[in-house]
Amino acid sequence: MREVELYFGPQHLGMVGNFSITLKVEGDRILEATANPGYLHRGFEKLMEYRTWIQNFPLVCRINVVEPDHMEMVYAMAVEKLAGIEIPERAQWIRSIDLELARVGSHLFGLWAYANMLGFDTIGQWAMYHRDLILDLFEELTGGRVYHIYICPGGVRRDFPDGFADKIVKTLHSIGKHVPDYDDTFFNNPLFYERAHGIGKITQEKAKEWGAVGQVVRATGIPYDIRKVEPYAAYNKVDFDIPTREEGDAYSRIWVIRDELIESVHLIFKLLDNLPEGEVYNRVPNPFKWRVPKGEAYVRVESSRGELGLYMVSNGEDKPYRVHFRTPSYSHGLTILEKVLKGANIADVGNAMISLYVVAPEIDR
Amino acid sequence: MKMNKKLAEELELTFKDIEVSTPEDTKIEIFAHKEQVLTILRFLKNKGYNHLALISCVDWIEKAEFELVYILTPYLQDYEAYKKIGDIHLKMRIPRENPETGTVISIFPNAEPYEREIHELFGIKFAGHPRLTHLLLERDYEIPPFRKDFDTREYVEDVFGSIPPIKEEKE
Amino acid sequence: MDREQVIKALKDSGKWGHKYSFWVVYFCTGCGIIEIPPVITSRWDAERFGIIPVATPRQANLFLITGYVSLKTLRPIIRTYEQMPEPKYTVGFGSCPINGGMYWDSYNTIKHLDKYIPIDGWIAGCMPRPEAIFIAITHLWTMIDKGMANAYKKYRKQYKYYRRNQEMALGELQWPPLYPIDEDE
Repeated sequence: MREVELYFGPQHLGMVGNFSITLKVEGDRILEATANPGYLHRGFEKLMEYRTWIQNFPLVCRINVVEPDHMEMVYAMAVEKLAGIEIPERAQWIRSIDLELARVGSHLFGLWAYANMLGFDTIGQWAMYHRDLILDLFEELTGGRVYHIYICPGGVRRDFPDGFADKIVKTLHSIGKHVPDYDDTFFNNPLFYERAHGIGKITQEKAKEWGAVGQVVRATGIPYDIRKVEPYAAYNKVDFDIPTREEGDAYSRIWVIRDELIESVHLIFKLLDNLPEGEVYNRVPNPFKWRVPKGEAYVRVESSRGELGLYMVSNGEDKPYRVHFRTPSYSHGLTILEKVLKGANIADVGNAMISLYVVAPEIDR
Repeated sequence: MKMNKKLAEELELTFKDIEVSTPEDTKIEIFAHKEQVLTILRFLKNKGYNHLALISCVDWIEKAEFELVYILTPYLQDYEAYKKIGDIHLKMRIPRENPETGTVISIFPNAEPYEREIHELFGIKFAGHPRLTHLLLERDYEIPPFRKDFDTREYVEDVFGSIPPIKEEKE
Repeated sequence: MDREQVIKALKDSGKWGHKYSFWVVYFCTGCGIIEIPPVITSRWDAERFGIIPVATPRQANLFLITGYVSLKTLRPIIRTYEQMPEPKYTVGFGSCPINGGMYWDSYNTIKHLDKYIPIDGWIAGCMPRPEAIFIAITHLWTMIDKGMANAYKKYRKQYKYYRRNQEMALGELQWPPLYPIDEDE
């Protein structure tokens, strides 16, 4: 048999996002896979050095299109740490609710991508519809469906409108009562087990060695979550679990995503019950003339894909000196994907890639 | 907190000629030389810092130096254990003319794309890296794009501004 | 459909066929791809307009370029556009293909997309709402009725200038010219 080089390229029905993999195959078996990012590179970190601190906010949320709130959160946390800005208590709780709603929306999007790729189109339609209900909530709160620009240094931009907490509860109940339908159709389906069992298997030691974070490492049995390791916002004031699984293959990863979705919904209810009163924004004077004092900071949050970090260096001027995002899809899509696809079949490439929860704009920035 | 200071003292005793400081409770900063980086990383990995979160590079153009920062965190599970250990920022500086250093892939296999990206965007060579090919960029630039002397607005004017629009046809 | 539309359809059934069955190439070009799954699923159902996504460019007649275009993406876009059979229509989605949008000073993105491939219409916004896509489709129907959606004919007539612009931006192209180029014009 001879070796052929195939391009699982950007224009492909199984590819979500602009990413490409070069495969060296022999018959049906992959000998070597090379990830080929760079189709979405905008040079964010260079562009951010030309804009002032407050002008960077609309830019930062466009790095990860599926869940922009975590990017805003990590940028606001870094600026607050360097400049020493304090946030009111109610703003911390509202930030947590905002981030958890974003996490629910992002998991529903991932479910659409994965179920469509396997062929379960019904689940894709349901998941997208439920995600749209959550985008309606965001539109009422912040004014935009996809890009919110809601979390700023000093708190959040505006308070909840009247009756908003009840609307959140009603929407989440209307999504939650379909969970038995999702389970019967997809998660407990023996076809899903046959398709996803054993694909892209990673052991615990290999996961730690290859720098895995997020669902990839939680599906091997290690409950590593930044919300417990280094709590931020209001996460140290409520009680929640970290779901894990044992096997480390695509089946476990999707089950971890489902468990996290349900856990996030319960967490939003707990946060809404104990929401304190007060201000939501500590006004920082003269935002166009801010000067952040000299220093550096590395802050991190738990986005829906894993550990999202930001390394920021400031030189005392009105523009950042160096900004570097550490995104979770970087090690998943570039190191782990290549190692997991060695020896796999061509038909499993989409399965492995989407179950590792790789989003292309995060890699390229 | 106490483990923080204990580790700082142990590092200063084991390695010569490095500076260790603890600016916060959960952070240790180490300033080292280029040749010591590999041994310090191996030492720290055995102490429990087994996750290489980020390799970043800062261009200090006034001092004509590049600063490489290695950020290490532990794979722990809860806040009580993390408070005792914290993060590590390992920094080293190399001169801006002909910058080169060694790779750390033998200790942390996930350092490979970080070093490839720094090579392409800053122009630093990593000796021993298996493939230093293009990762994100489509072409070679005269000055690597993330250096401070590359002006991106001027580049856009030159290259994209000089392409003429297609005129409407006049019948 | 009312009486006037039936008469219009019978008079020019070719145009009727083009308008009411736009098959879109499935290519996630940029960050605008986040609003396409809501459009093609059950809430903002696009199939009632006749729009479905298809796998290859040979089966498609509408190309939706969602979001900014980087240098590396421009090559697949040109190759996809040239493989689509005629008549074909292109729509630029978002503010970035119009004039660079938010990334106007980035060294890796294309600022004006209509210097490289011809565009029938633009949808402004960042992100545009799903309803904006449907309004754009109805505008495209009107343009096809009046005979104004002629981007593909422009590409054929002025291919020399498009090819020159593509080579200025990308360097050497690995595919031969689509139409023969007269050098002495």
